[in-house]
Amino acid sequence: MTPRAATAPADRLDKQLVPEPRTAILVGNPNVGKSVLFGALTGKYVTVSNYPGTTVEVTRGHATIEGRAWNVMDTPGTNGLTPMSEDEQATRDILLREVGYACLQVCDTKNLRRGLLLTVQLAEAGVPFLLALNMADEAASRGIHVDVEALAKSLGVDVVPTVAVERKGLAQLQAALPAARPSSFAVRYDPAIEEGLAEVVPLLPPGGGLAPRAVALMLLAGDDSLDGRIAGLPAEARERVAEARRRVSARYPESLRFVISKQRLAAVDRLHDAVVTRGARSAGSDFGKRLGAWSTHPIWGVPILAAVLLAAYEFVGVLGARVAVDFMEYKVFYDRLVPWTQAAVRWLVPWQAAQRFLVGPAGVPFREHDGFLVGRYGLFSMGLSYGMAIVLPIVATFFVAFSVLEDSGYLPRLAVMVNKLFKRMGLNGKAVLPMVLGLGCDTMATMTARIMETRKERIIVTLLLALAIPCSAQMAVILAMAASLSPGALAWFGGALLGTLVLVGWLAAKVLPGRGSDFVLELPPLRIPQAGNVAVKTLARIEWYLREALPLFLVGTLLLWGLDRVGGLVVLQRVAAPVVVGVLHLPKEAALAFILGFLRRDYAAAGLFLHYEPFIRAGTLTREMQIQITVALVTLTLFIPCIANFFMIVKERGWKTGLAIAGFIVPFAVGVGATVNVLMRWLY
Amino acid sequence: MPALVARMERCPLCGTEFDAAGQGCRPSCPLAQGCKVVCCPSCSYSFPQETGLAGRLKGFLERRRAGR
Repeated sequence: MTPRAATAPADRLDKQLVPEPRTAILVGNPNVGKSVLFGALTGKYVTVSNYPGTTVEVTRGHATIEGRAWNVMDTPGTNGLTPMSEDEQATRDILLREVGYACLQVCDTKNLRRGLLLTVQLAEAGVPFLLALNMADEAASRGIHVDVEALAKSLGVDVVPTVAVERKGLAQLQAALPAARPSSFAVRYDPAIEEGLAEVVPLLPPGGGLAPRAVALMLLAGDDSLDGRIAGLPAEARERVAEARRRVSARYPESLRFVISKQRLAAVDRLHDAVVTRGARSAGSDFGKRLGAWSTHPIWGVPILAAVLLAAYEFVGVLGARVAVDFMEYKVFYDRLVPWTQAAVRWLVPWQAAQRFLVGPAGVPFREHDGFLVGRYGLFSMGLSYGMAIVLPIVATFFVAFSVLEDSGYLPRLAVMVNKLFKRMGLNGKAVLPMVLGLGCDTMATMTARIMETRKERIIVTLLLALAIPCSAQMAVILAMAASLSPGALAWFGGALLGTLVLVGWLAAKVLPGRGSDFVLELPPLRIPQAGNVAVKTLARIEWYLREALPLFLVGTLLLWGLDRVGGLVVLQRVAAPVVVGVLHLPKEAALAFILGFLRRDYAAAGLFLHYEPFIRAGTLTREMQIQITVALVTLTLFIPCIANFFMIVKERGWKTGLAIAGFIVPFAVGVGATVNVLMRWLY
Repeated sequence: MPALVARMERCPLCGTEFDAAGQGCRPSCPLAQGCKVVCCPSCSYSFPQETGLAGRLKGFLERRRAGR
């Protein structure tokens, strides 16, 4: 007892009446208005958003709720308690370490399914909590109705609809917070998982903010971030946990983390469907719903996928890569812009030496001189014309096709369809997005590899993009050459590429350290894309391409021009000839095509096309030529896509990884080419 | 800092609506300054924000739709 308390009875009475502050922890998915609610509760202003990796700070504040002092903590947004990022781990660790708290889960009513996935995990964790259905007004305006009473009854906790920005529902939340209690909702998993849980739970130490069952589920799911927590266990107990995990994992072809998430999601879906009804505005048509279900069906999804790919090929491969490129390259650039540029330079620059340096000698075709702006490797005649006349029409048509797919809601369904195949390659269905984008432009797709959760996945996607995904520019030249090949040679080409893609992906998943991630994706309804939206999306992407990829085209061309000026290209050609002629059995002219292939893979393919064009047109391709074309196409496709892509890999993944990927790809491409050459000569 | 406009965006992949503020590129990226790529907090899908010419077209289309 303090001296002051001993001498002041009134003060002593106050101190006896004022209990210790309780702690409230706010949790929720990212961007659900959690921080706004925190501000409303504590009166302290906080920033609304955060981004994984930028800050994992926890904001603290004080509030008086129902006459009692509360310490309030705001945590980084999380989608689950088995963490996939540093932010999610921070939130999970707070719940794990703190004791005696009440948890306030904030969820977006418009996106209740995602919120309930976290709710169910809080229920499993035995955390006392209540649920705030935030943005209730926006959900109602979209025709989404949540049966709050039924939800509260199913969960066994208080559920309060709120509009945090208008402080609506705040008083009800404050009234309910002291009565926060553990949820009675329980997910029953498969017997194999339940048996594993029954074995692991008794081994875990008591105490901490989360129930042993939740921690055991995390351990079974392979959550490495819990290693510190089980480090204090006796060696025998740790071995029994690992053994239980191995045994349960062996029962499923997929990762245990994925299986647990899937079964938990099924329980969430049942709960969600029981309490949510949608008004006419948000309900899709019956046909749309059926088509949406077919598009992810293991059997019916395949013809739908084939139809989508065929339509995309016709639009991008035929209209974009042939018609639009032909028009832009010849009609616009070579017939008009190049001669106009030459004339403008000769008119504006009075010195003949400068004119010759910039646009070459008068009367000589630009492909036969080394002018800086207009020339064989001129910044304008090659760099800009490749960027604007060859690649832009193809990526623009591709962006239109991609935006249509995006706007229609088909893309996430495509990701679900290929999820199983990609899981064998250490990835998940989300990887299909950079892969599909790679068919437009590998350089840009390398940037999109950022969507993958872990470093391991990003490296595998970057490697596969650089190795086996031909960009549309190259695809167009490949298709032009492939049309001349016999069906047998074509099968060799396709088989070699697909086999390499799957084999390298599978091996990379085994060899590279780190872990893959699971894939929980909501499927928005299928809808008919609106032309205006597609135009806006396409324009935004074209602007992005011009800002980020075009400068790299110019840098690549500048390098090529410099090498040509100092005779470096001839030296490189001599160095490459033994491999190209000796190992791959290709004509010596192909050596330069391969060197240029590093700068632009489609350029190399175009060079080869020109070499064989007279025989293709005359229909006099011999068996030897069929083999040469197949070997050349396989090797070129597996080669580094272009120097811009290499720079992008370096930019995204760092010099070390960039050089390691290039160091692997170049000899590997030649090795596969040589193998196809030997096998075809034997079997074809 | 990324050149993002703070406004509500809808993820084209999973349909989540979110505030674009703070959802830009990682600052470690050398091109993050001036980058318009926004990243969905729910599924991490990234897409360029419709500003600039695309933003003007979007504004025009929205005004036209509102006028009907």
